Amino acid sequence: MSDTVKDDVRVTAPAPAAPAPAGPGRPRRPAADAGAERGILSGFDWGRAGTRWGMRVAQGLVLVLLAVASLGPLLWLARASVSTTQDTLRTPMAFWPSGLDWANLSTAWNQAQISHYFTNTVWVALGSWCVQLLIATTGGYVLAVLRPRYAPVVTAAVLATLFIPGVVVLVPLFLTVLDLPVVNASLLNTYWAVWLPAGANAFNVLLVKRFMDGLPRDVYEAARMDGAGPFRMLWSVALPMSKPILGVVSIFAFLNAWKDFLWPQIVLPEPTLQPLSVRLPLIRDTVELDVFLAALLISMALPIVIFLVFQRLFLRGAGLGGAVKG
Amino acid sequence: MSSTRRHLGVVAAAVMALSLVAACGSDDDPAADGGNGQQDDGDGGGDEQVTISVSNLPPATESATREAFLARVEEFEAANPNITIEPSEYEWDVTTFAAQLAGGTLPTTFEFPFTDGQAMIERGQLADITAEVQELPYADAFNPSVLEVAQDDSGAVFAVPTAAYGMGLHYNRAMFEQAGLDPDAPPTSWAEVREYADAIAEATGQAGFSQMSQNNTGGWILTTLTYALGGRMEEGSGDDVTATLDNDGTRQALELLRQMRWEDDAMGDNFLFDWGTINQAFAAGQVGMYIGGSDVYNSLVTENSIDPNAYGLTVLPLEGDDAGVLGGGTIVGVRPDASEAERDAAVKWIDFFYMSKLTQQDAALADAEALVATDAPLGTPALPIFGAEQLAESDAWVADLVNVPLEQMMPFKESILDQPLVPEPPVRAQDLYAELDAVVQAVLTDENADIDALLETANGNVSSLVEAG
Amino acid sequence: MNATIRWVRGGGLSTLLLLLPLLLVFSYFAWFPIGRAVVMSFQETNLVTDPAWVGLDNFRRVLEDPLFWTSVRNTLYFTGLALLFGYPVPLLLAVVMSELRRGKGLYSALAYLPVVVPPVVAVLLWRFFYDASQTGVFNTIFGWIGLGPFAWIQDASTAMPSLVLQATWANAGATVLIYLAALTGVRGDLYDAAEVDGAGLWRKIWHVTLPQLRGVLLITLILQVIATFQVFTEPYLMTNGGPQNATVTVLLQIYNYAFRFGDFGAATALSVLLALFLAAMSAVYFRLTRSWSTT
Repeated sequence: MSDTVKDDVRVTAPAPAAPAPAGPGRPRRPAADAGAERGILSGFDWGRAGTRWGMRVAQGLVLVLLAVASLGPLLWLARASVSTTQDTLRTPMAFWPSGLDWANLSTAWNQAQISHYFTNTVWVALGSWCVQLLIATTGGYVLAVLRPRYAPVVTAAVLATLFIPGVVVLVPLFLTVLDLPVVNASLLNTYWAVWLPAGANAFNVLLVKRFMDGLPRDVYEAARMDGAGPFRMLWSVALPMSKPILGVVSIFAFLNAWKDFLWPQIVLPEPTLQPLSVRLPLIRDTVELDVFLAALLISMALPIVIFLVFQRLFLRGAGLGGAVKG
Repeated sequence: MSSTRRHLGVVAAAVMALSLVAACGSDDDPAADGGNGQQDDGDGGGDEQVTISVSNLPPATESATREAFLARVEEFEAANPNITIEPSEYEWDVTTFAAQLAGGTLPTTFEFPFTDGQAMIERGQLADITAEVQELPYADAFNPSVLEVAQDDSGAVFAVPTAAYGMGLHYNRAMFEQAGLDPDAPPTSWAEVREYADAIAEATGQAGFSQMSQNNTGGWILTTLTYALGGRMEEGSGDDVTATLDNDGTRQALELLRQMRWEDDAMGDNFLFDWGTINQAFAAGQVGMYIGGSDVYNSLVTENSIDPNAYGLTVLPLEGDDAGVLGGGTIVGVRPDASEAERDAAVKWIDFFYMSKLTQQDAALADAEALVATDAPLGTPALPIFGAEQLAESDAWVADLVNVPLEQMMPFKESILDQPLVPEPPVRAQDLYAELDAVVQAVLTDENADIDALLETANGNVSSLVEAG
Repeated sequence: MNATIRWVRGGGLSTLLLLLPLLLVFSYFAWFPIGRAVVMSFQETNLVTDPAWVGLDNFRRVLEDPLFWTSVRNTLYFTGLALLFGYPVPLLLAVVMSELRRGKGLYSALAYLPVVVPPVVAVLLWRFFYDASQTGVFNTIFGWIGLGPFAWIQDASTAMPSLVLQATWANAGATVLIYLAALTGVRGDLYDAAEVDGAGLWRKIWHVTLPQLRGVLLITLILQVIATFQVFTEPYLMTNGGPQNATVTVLLQIYNYAFRFGDFGAATALSVLLALFLAAMSAVYFRLTRSWSTT
């Protein structure tokens, strides 16, 4: 549920900010493994036909429910994006009464310039990902491993931003982007206006910090004995060991940048720079419905493909939100 | 020019509220020092190299109109070797305007709608170009009631009106025929509008009449209806303006909507329309009639691919003693921090790009040919920027090239000049519109809406804003 | 001098260099704007001229705006409905899913799928589903079983529930996975013990599962409240506050102040008020996570 925050505003809000010591190796499934193999139902329960069938029916129902609710709208969109406008308007639940209309997809991609906005979105997402990863790894590394004397102060200051919801800084952040203090530059209509604020994500920093906190310290000591400096240690010791958490951070950084709407809409008024999220509501009025639905389909294709490919990472990351135990 | 047109409407929808305490705004009014321009009078400053950016370059998707625009730029630069033009795709948008101005990304000149001119002038967001405009040969020929939208109380000019339209009733001829109505005899009274709407809804199952209701368009169209029924949203002038939202005209207008919606069920099922969505629904044949600016046809063609044969346009029926038609249009202004040389170049550009086609036969023909060559609509009825005769003359220059179904717009064109033009509410128009959006939505979505009570509340809210200035 | 050299030699400089990106980005885009928000809420600015101090004027204007209480009421209503829809159902799903012996991945993937759909796409798609005519998507479906047509977002009384339904669809998957993760953490020996006492299925759920999930349940509750208080995309794109202001939320109100009416002072004042409330919620949240993570 906490995702609503992320979608609407850059997260400085306490999104799934559970202080989850998702340490290295075996995270989260807590110690008491002895009985953890079983669920609510015991082996004996499963042996009883009534319970067994009851549970199977319940599980079957849930599967149907999930399939209809989750896949239904997406499949409908897939169907509608290759239907004619009139079919979609008059008989929204029929299967292609006037035949397939594959041209919608290419019209959306070319004429409605979805290809252009798609590329913009990829840029927005890649840049946000780079910045977030850079800040989270260097910051987390310094705070967790190098631990300078001022580290607790910085950690506290970063943590504090979690308490401040993103919306409160919406306007001042916007004014900051209009005229960066000290350097007096305006980031308006540049991707930096999206990338850099995305980096100020306390959740990422704390997640990486906690993970690195959990790494065995003797590895660093050994590296230091070998004469490795802080940069070498980050590159060849800390980063390789942190791959799991960096995967989680990456995937959510990319996805959230793809989903972001309000902030890019505010800082990218120039139409040629806008990502899909900002552009879609605007082109709705100017393209035909069938083409628009095709554009919607294209816009969600990449996130879904990424999700299917990196399913495990996603599902692990999503669980982090509640991993308050253990 | 489709992008421009689009903006007209979006704009009508937009809000530019006076958010500032009046004192704060006027004290620091940057426009106040605009008068310095006088020092460099005459043809002076002509040789200084200057670069200005101009708005509304058509996007790459409209390659033909884009090329035509760029060709005009080259032509201008050839004629004015000291001026370099940087075309920008910028389109005025109320939500980003202040930010772009502060962020320095606003072009030197930009188009915006009549509706927002006064608020921008009061907030010091436009340059005073009185001196530069005075240089133009037709400076004295402007229709005073049109030029007014670009002037402050003292008569200083902050922008140049380039196009004007009156509100009209758009209707779908095909749906008229389906309902057994004569498409060449559109309704001439509001009772007939209601009757026709009912017949269309009955015969087609679609909305016989639809009404915008979102993003201030609800208030905008309700004001149009009110004027047509003889009411006014604000009375008085100068410092002595009072809100009169609860007038008989508005009450009648809402009552008409209520009857069409609830008694006749002639308004379909969707009531959350704004400018863009209602145009789309109309072009898709889901709306029989609706009220909008007379120039909407241009964007119905370029953005919504309407079938020209189905389009019809007529004037709004005027009923009541003081009835009139609401007008609107496009004005072009200059950013307030432009230097003198930039202001000078900007007005030259405005003269060349926007005005010459209204005032010179050659330019008018060239512009018309370029439009027609790209299948852009030419000939949609407009209101005069200067005078009725001048408009008739400039229309005649390009009459042979007209590519819109002018016959189907004749009911409008023949009568619009006889209708008295009423300007928008002078104070806080956009706040007033926003307040009325909710009233329109209430009447359309709540069968038991109490019109009197709604108007009383809305009038109270707007009154306190109007009194505050 | 010596101290400085020692500091550099000891890696102090490279440490600072490594921390520099974080310090810069957080200074510019988090710490400074937060401070500025507080300052701005007492100022009047049009972005062009210098801001002026106006004391509590912004707050007064915000609180006197007739839409203020409307937006608070609407936001609370949204939150309440979101809890009603989005709280028990994911829990039920998670309980059933946790008993799966095979295919848990498939179930999870299906549940999570809507979460990855960009909200703008989802909202625009659902806006179309909510078409109020006979041939609208949902009205067609309900028509099969003889219900409707419903007005959905075209009516003040059903607009908000419609928005919440869409938001629940978009977000419930994430909640399911949180519960699922928590359920796998419930210790099996507690069930064993309950069975020894002769507890049946329902009693086990009531006396073992739910108490064990207490922490997670409370935390997702608070997270959900915090998140729903910042809801924007749905009301903005689906109804833009209408009909009759029935879906004007606090964040939409902030957006309108700033970007529709250019009143940046009122926008920040309302933001600060909202922030105070949410910070209180967050504080509760952090206390809870701390106390539960130590048990």
